[in-house]
Amino acid sequence: MKDFHIARTAHSPEVDFRFSEHRLTLSGEAYPEDATAFFNPVLSALEQYLKSMDDCDIEFNFQLTYFNSASTKMLYRLFGLLNDSACTRNRVVLCWHHDVEDDTVLEFGESVHDDFNALEFRPIAADLAAL
Amino acid sequence: MHIDVFSVFRNSADFSGVLFYYNGPLSQNVIATMGETLRHRLGCADAGGPKARRLFSSFIEMAQNALHYSPDAPGYPGEKVGALAVGRCGSSDYYIVCGNLVHRDQTQRIRERIEPLRSMTVEEIRRAYREQLKQEPASDEVSKGAGLGFLTLARDATEPIEYSLIDMPGHEDDLAYFYIQATV
Repeated sequence: MKDFHIARTAHSPEVDFRFSEHRLTLSGEAYPEDATAFFNPVLSALEQYLKSMDDCDIEFNFQLTYFNSASTKMLYRLFGLLNDSACTRNRVVLCWHHDVEDDTVLEFGESVHDDFNALEFRPIAADLAAL
Repeated sequence: MHIDVFSVFRNSADFSGVLFYYNGPLSQNVIATMGETLRHRLGCADAGGPKARRLFSSFIEMAQNALHYSPDAPGYPGEKVGALAVGRCGSSDYYIVCGNLVHRDQTQRIRERIEPLRSMTVEEIRRAYREQLKQEPASDEVSKGAGLGFLTLARDATEPIEYSLIDMPGHEDDLAYFYIQATV
């Protein structure tokens, strides 16, 4: 399956889904004007990829530093897709990159960890301001 | 505007601790630019990391709320307008306030959404936020953030959210001003 890439803008994140390497990364900030319109194609590409894979090790790197409430909702759907796949066909590691000072991202990670327990949750403290 | 009137306006803004004020058309680009300006101002004012992040988050939620849910300004088809201010209150807190138009038939719904949050404890807000995350997208098409927006504001605030709904003079039947204020 072809890799999927969307360049970063001031209010939407970089989507770097390297399906060929089973390494998917989301970085930057997410507060697009219409979160549903932005994330729907991302979710479709991810869903198609997950369906085409079997018994595969997938790494998802979450490196967002800010996401508005509408994007948060869409991210929950994204983690839902990963979790469903991890329950049935594949192994998914969720690398949770976060600034040590950022309690919002850290707390959101705790919710994700609790609510999607088929994912192997791996918190990674980082200086994301430098990215 | 007469210079004296502008001087009074500027002085009273200063007195109220205003760091940033905008009143005019809203668009995604205007919001993103204001957000960056606000970050810069906070950086200069030494507002530490987590507080600056919460303030930025509150600013974006309020501004996008105004952009998404405001009816067009009377006489300006297609144009959404809003007023936003950020300022200091006390030694370490900031306030952020937003005013925009809403349809009058939405005022009851807004009250019902905000009022319960005002009496909730921090822990109750956190729990409600996490419950709302797990909800499927809202069945009513009105809310794009599925009720998470006001909860996000409540989560980031240090005091209960203040709000006010005032009939718009000359448009009492269909429009009202919605003001919302948070302390971070």
